[in-house]
Amino acid sequence: MTLRKHLAKLCAVACLMATPAVADSIASKIEAQGEMTYLRVTGLSQVARSGLLAIQAEVSNEKAGQQTLYYRFRWLDASGFSVWDDEAWKPLLFHGKGKQLIQVVAPTPQATDFRLVLQSPENTATPASTW
Amino acid sequence: MKSLAPTLCKTALPLILVATLGGCASTGSPVVGGNVQYGDSKAVETVTNQFGSTDLQTIAESMTRSLLQSQAITRGNRPLITVADVKNKTSEYIDTRSVTDSIRAQLLKSGSVRFAIDADAMQSQTDELIRQNQTGLYKKNTTKKIGQMQGADYRLEGNITSIVKQSSSIKDVYYKFSLVLVGIESGVLEWADEKEIRKTSLR
Repeated sequence: MTLRKHLAKLCAVACLMATPAVADSIASKIEAQGEMTYLRVTGLSQVARSGLLAIQAEVSNEKAGQQTLYYRFRWLDASGFSVWDDEAWKPLLFHGKGKQLIQVVAPTPQATDFRLVLQSPENTATPASTW
Repeated sequence: MKSLAPTLCKTALPLILVATLGGCASTGSPVVGGNVQYGDSKAVETVTNQFGSTDLQTIAESMTRSLLQSQAITRGNRPLITVADVKNKTSEYIDTRSVTDSIRAQLLKSGSVRFAIDADAMQSQTDELIRQNQTGLYKKNTTKKIGQMQGADYRLEGNITSIVKQSSSIKDVYYKFSLVLVGIESGVLEWADEKEIRKTSLR
């Protein structure tokens, strides 16, 4: 086997090993009300800008038809206490097989952690356990 | 010797009955009436496609978060802002003051800015100062002096417009809420943002 093939194999293994970790870190920040059937959070990143936590979540629609997502954020401090009132639920429309980016900034510098609360009308009632 | 059975029946049986029935009874809720139900004030409201609570809440939230990232505010020193008019250029009645009140409340809560009293509240502010200084009713050392009010660094103003299209079967409403932050001394627009909302309903 050539060196290039070895490297390709190693890279593939590394990518596979990274995927569950990424999924775990996403799952720890998501509160889905029921298991979402067609919508998936495929990316989640956070960065501190000017003392405020900025979040970007990528949500993908795996269905060919339109889907609606209702979402809001819960803002927490380092101890896990909520530092802001309940946000309004916001509707987000997805076209078939489309992706949407949700970008938000924390309302206060006290917010150092967050939960993304999601609800899709086509969710199943069982709680989301795997992401 | 007299048997204990009749005495036990007389005393214990009612107690058992009361305990059993009491256990079955439902707990009374602290509610009067029953024809009205409280709902989720943060729920997505889709009763009609007129301007609604979800529009107000999402506009206020979006504008606040955007403004908090503006250089005028991130520079620090908690700038002093005043709220001017948000003009309603739509064809429907919208209380734009309610939108700016929400924006102001959220910005104040963030702790990043301060607000100077706006033109609408100026009358009650000057009335109070005049009452303290000119009626002779107050102790001199507790009287708040005239001429000490702080002028705002920035003015927040904007407008809301809408485009309504309808056919025999569909009504489509597009709202655009625009807000700008103007430096009062320089007249420079330091920040601006827009929030668009589309609502479509079947007629």
